[in-house]
Amino acid sequence: MKLKFLQLALAASLALGAVVPAMAQKKGGDVVIAMTAAPPSLDPHATSAQVARNVNLHIFETLYARDEGARPVPDLATGVTVSPDGLTYVFALRQGVKFHNGKDMTPADVVASLERYRKAGASASLIAAIDTVAATGPNQVTIKLKTVQSTFLGNLSSPRAPIAIMPAEEAAKEMGKAASIGTGPFSFVEYKPDSHIKLARFDGYKPNPAYKERDGFAGAKVVHIDSVTFRFMPEAGARDAAVETGQVQFNEQTDSTTAKRLRGNANFQVISSLPFSAKILKYNMAQGAATDVNFRRAVQMSLNAEEIMGVAYPDNNRIDQSWVYAGSAYHTGRPVFKQDLAGAKASLAKSSYKGEKLTFIVHNDRPTVDAATVMQQQMTAIGINVELKVADWPTTSGIGLKSDQGWNFWTHGFGIEPYEGPASAMSHWVKGQGQRKEDPTIDALFAKFNGEMNVDAQKKMFAEFENRMADEAIATNIGNYGLFQVATSKLKNFKAYRIPRMWGVWLE
Amino acid sequence: MGRFIVRRLLASIPVLFLVSLITFGLLWLVPGDPASMFLDASATAEALERVRRELGLDRPFLVRMGEWYMRLLQGDLGTSLLLNRSVTSAILERLPVTLSLTMLAFFFAVLIGVAAGVVAAVRHGKAADQGMMTLALLGLSIPEFWLGLVLIWLVAVLVPIFPAGDYVPFFTNPWEWARHIALPTFTLACVQMGFVARMTRSSMLEVLGQDFVRTARAKGLPESYVVVRHGLVNAMVPIVTVMGIMVGGLLGGAVVIEQVFSIPGMGRLIIGAVLSRDFPVIQGGLLFLALIYLMVNIGVDLLYAVIDPRVRLE
Repeated sequence: MKLKFLQLALAASLALGAVVPAMAQKKGGDVVIAMTAAPPSLDPHATSAQVARNVNLHIFETLYARDEGARPVPDLATGVTVSPDGLTYVFALRQGVKFHNGKDMTPADVVASLERYRKAGASASLIAAIDTVAATGPNQVTIKLKTVQSTFLGNLSSPRAPIAIMPAEEAAKEMGKAASIGTGPFSFVEYKPDSHIKLARFDGYKPNPAYKERDGFAGAKVVHIDSVTFRFMPEAGARDAAVETGQVQFNEQTDSTTAKRLRGNANFQVISSLPFSAKILKYNMAQGAATDVNFRRAVQMSLNAEEIMGVAYPDNNRIDQSWVYAGSAYHTGRPVFKQDLAGAKASLAKSSYKGEKLTFIVHNDRPTVDAATVMQQQMTAIGINVELKVADWPTTSGIGLKSDQGWNFWTHGFGIEPYEGPASAMSHWVKGQGQRKEDPTIDALFAKFNGEMNVDAQKKMFAEFENRMADEAIATNIGNYGLFQVATSKLKNFKAYRIPRMWGVWLE
Repeated sequence: MGRFIVRRLLASIPVLFLVSLITFGLLWLVPGDPASMFLDASATAEALERVRRELGLDRPFLVRMGEWYMRLLQGDLGTSLLLNRSVTSAILERLPVTLSLTMLAFFFAVLIGVAAGVVAAVRHGKAADQGMMTLALLGLSIPEFWLGLVLIWLVAVLVPIFPAGDYVPFFTNPWEWARHIALPTFTLACVQMGFVARMTRSSMLEVLGQDFVRTARAKGLPESYVVVRHGLVNAMVPIVTVMGIMVGGLLGGAVVIEQVFSIPGMGRLIIGAVLSRDFPVIQGGLLFLALIYLMVNIGVDLLYAVIDPRVRLE
């Protein structure tokens, strides 16, 4: 009898459980998100800054987008037909898609958007393989490539600086000047610089019928809330206070101390988006000590990844030295390197390093400075004389991106590339971009990878790339770290992803 | 007086020119590239160059400087590299916010500071004097950003009386405006309050020891009349001088306070512009702040003549 009652109770609770989520979805409300900074531009083609993605990917959509596992899937397209020679891609477009200005999306808009992006987009190299783009039917766009590119759909669906589809008249405007008119589930309402950006639910939005629920940047984007406000709050303490007082419903970034403090509080949900980025150490191979492979190996062996990540990202790191995130089909699960001080000293002795002072550039993000400080100490332990040069992002990146001079080491996050996949992770080291000196082996591997359509063969090439990176110490991948985010417990159905997605969530 | 004002206004022009020249010089010296704000760490050198071209940063610095001065002569401060709007409109949008914050802080700092200073001087050497001066010293010593954060924690998080930050325009909702501006105003006023209180006390002590004050007391005038009419009015000249300097302190403090309380004012505009190297905004914003400071100082000079009839504006 008792068993039967329990069975009945279980059945009833399961049945309730099945219907509760559907019943609990409430329409309405404004979600305020506290952001660390304002986007440099709301023109989606103009910037690859993370803060811009947070906003723009609510307004704009792409032909193909990444799903929950970062695989390219159709979004504004219903699918693609690739010619046997791999050079022609025919995209069928979703019908009845409306822009926020009420106009229907047409192939002409798609062509204009793609043409604009490949001329001057922030990551124009993503679609540099395109030869021609043309509207070839009432709902069809055909892209012809100059050469076979196995990663083309991956590139086209990159959220980095999204290859967003905008009305042709906006695509005709110069870079940075396009109005925020997209096809996404939210439409632009207002931008008050230094204060906030407000978006409203786009009632003309029809979720993609090919999906049942949200799926990465694709899927059925069902919006329950009325609006979302991205409020710029650079001061970390102010963001924490605002979420605790209920002024904001979501803090996109907090520190581990606050995360720990709020974890037990029923009013909040602490979310860890791990992995959000890899922490990497770059060597300037164009000049100075790091031209010598023995020196780079010595540095790599001197590092203790657990210690570095434990200090910089306590409770929110994973020691994983693959160049793509776990979960990717290309993730090799390669063994992590271990600190080997004796080996490091021996390798340093073999190198041409004579004790000269070396410059380690780092931007003034607290965890990054902490990571750099630990690395500096570990290098000092084997006899390397390192000076940290901490500056803001424009100064540090101005040195690291443009110049062979003025730096020997540079550490920063490497976030979107491991998410996007092997080609993206490899591309940063092609033509010596990241290490300032070309590596013919990596360049050849990347070219071969791009032309290879077989996934197993690609996996082998990517493993070769990872071996090359580690053996030659071209750059050192220390490990993955996450972001701690805090939301009010009233925000339901939120799931951490590359941006704080506001579709699929509701306020209780 | 008219000639005085015109002469002072004309004298401001070389000062403003010097300010803009120094700002240009510093911007030229400071490393960093606004184009990098548009890109992540994996950007290619070509992508960076393309953004630089789009922003017009590929042209020589002196050419850009010459163009800026030419536009300035036509009353145009240029266009922000990141805000996608003219610098003038960006400044004018934020100016009321910063002015309301600094004016309120100024008002309370002067009101409370002068009152505390007078009380301390009148009760010289007593507990009230010591108490006031300890508080004044405390106000002077506490960094604004720290006080702001502590106040947020205390009266916004722990005891939720005030909002933790943000700003509501007065004409949108006067009550909410008052609630949002209260904490930042108090924080900003604190340092200046201590400054004014100490200055008032020392100036008042000097005046209250003068013969004419003794004479006034001997005439049997009420003590309050002696303190205010004979004491405070004569002690005002150095206090007014301090007020002029205070405006500079308040404008500088507003930069920090706006950051801590997420207030979209001039301070945040300039801090954001400095961090992202938005040169036209830095240039225009600093010029505007210098102009405000100069105008306030002209106002202070005019006040001298009002307070002290011996001062001639020539």
